[in-house]
Amino acid sequence: MKWNKKDMQKYVQAKEYVDTAIIPLVPFSFNKPDEEQIGLTFQNEVLELFVDRVERDFTGRVFQLPSYTYIMSNQLEHEVDRLNAFYQQINEQPFKHTFYLTFDSSWKRVEPKLEGNLIWTPVMKDGDLTSKETQKIVMDQIKQITELIRNYWI
Amino acid sequence: MSQDKKNQVSRRQFLNYTLTGVGGFMAAGMLAPMVRFAIDPVLQPKAQGDYVSTGKSVDELTSEPQRVDFTIRQVDAWYESDVSKVAWVYKQEDGSILALSPTCTHLGCFVGWNDNENYPNMFYCPCHDGLYEKSGKNVPGTPPTAPLAAFEHDVKDGILYLGKAIPREEA
Ligand code: FES
Repeated sequence: MKWNKKDMQKYVQAKEYVDTAIIPLVPFSFNKPDEEQIGLTFQNEVLELFVDRVERDFTGRVFQLPSYTYIMSNQLEHEVDRLNAFYQQINEQPFKHTFYLTFDSSWKRVEPKLEGNLIWTPVMKDGDLTSKETQKIVMDQIKQITELIRNYWI
Repeated sequence: MSQDKKNQVSRRQFLNYTLTGVGGFMAAGMLAPMVRFAIDPVLQPKAQGDYVSTGKSVDELTSEPQRVDFTIRQVDAWYESDVSKVAWVYKQEDGSILALSPTCTHLGCFVGWNDNENYPNMFYCPCHDGLYEKSGKNVPGTPPTAPLAAFEHDVKDGILYLGKAIPREEA
């Protein structure tokens, strides 16, 4: 389910079935070298594809929340509190699993302080989403993530 | 002083241009639909429920459900987009084709064929363990309360075409 009216109306009728929340963590910057900026937007597109696919396959059990956007930095300490505040509120609903999905490895360093599960996977620096090879890599990664999430459900 | 005057004129001109511009848009806005009415039949988007080619040759179909991917053009009030769809397609005993929608009738998750070792030769929904028989009929006692929907289908030149997914009532 997504953060829109149609799905929210469904959600309030079926809360007990929707036990998994997913929040994409999206690093933002606009002051990096042009190349890097382009790479960053590419990665964001890939992340959107990931979440979209997971949401589509598991729409009856997974709630995709709005992306958490933050200024890119190696120091994410001050983001931890904010993110944990989201977590607290989400968990006032009967969710059992909360996943953060990201390509930003900086989160790894603060992972122990995070409530909820961090799913970090590496990503290509830049690429072409219309190319067959890229699509294959992305599809494979999506498959792994879905497997991972399903493992939490067992 | 002259500078001032020049400024005023240009301000007035500016207003003038703006208003003409707005008026123009309004006129265009009123006219455009009329023009469309006049020439519409040609521009009319194709009726919904049209069949789209899956590119799948029906000769390749067997009695084992296989995944067929296809793309439809979806138009709603705000967006027009290509949506990728999936169907589970197989030949029934009498040779007729059945194309089932993979959308779980419980809450909409993607239903897989024969991909859970505990439920061989069944459609299984990983979200809340929904089960369906090969015919798409839901297994009582699991969350789904209706069979999987079936796509309308057609065969042209040996290629499978799919249309709308029609919900089915429990038999
Ligand atoms: S969505 Fe398939 S069993 Fe609930």
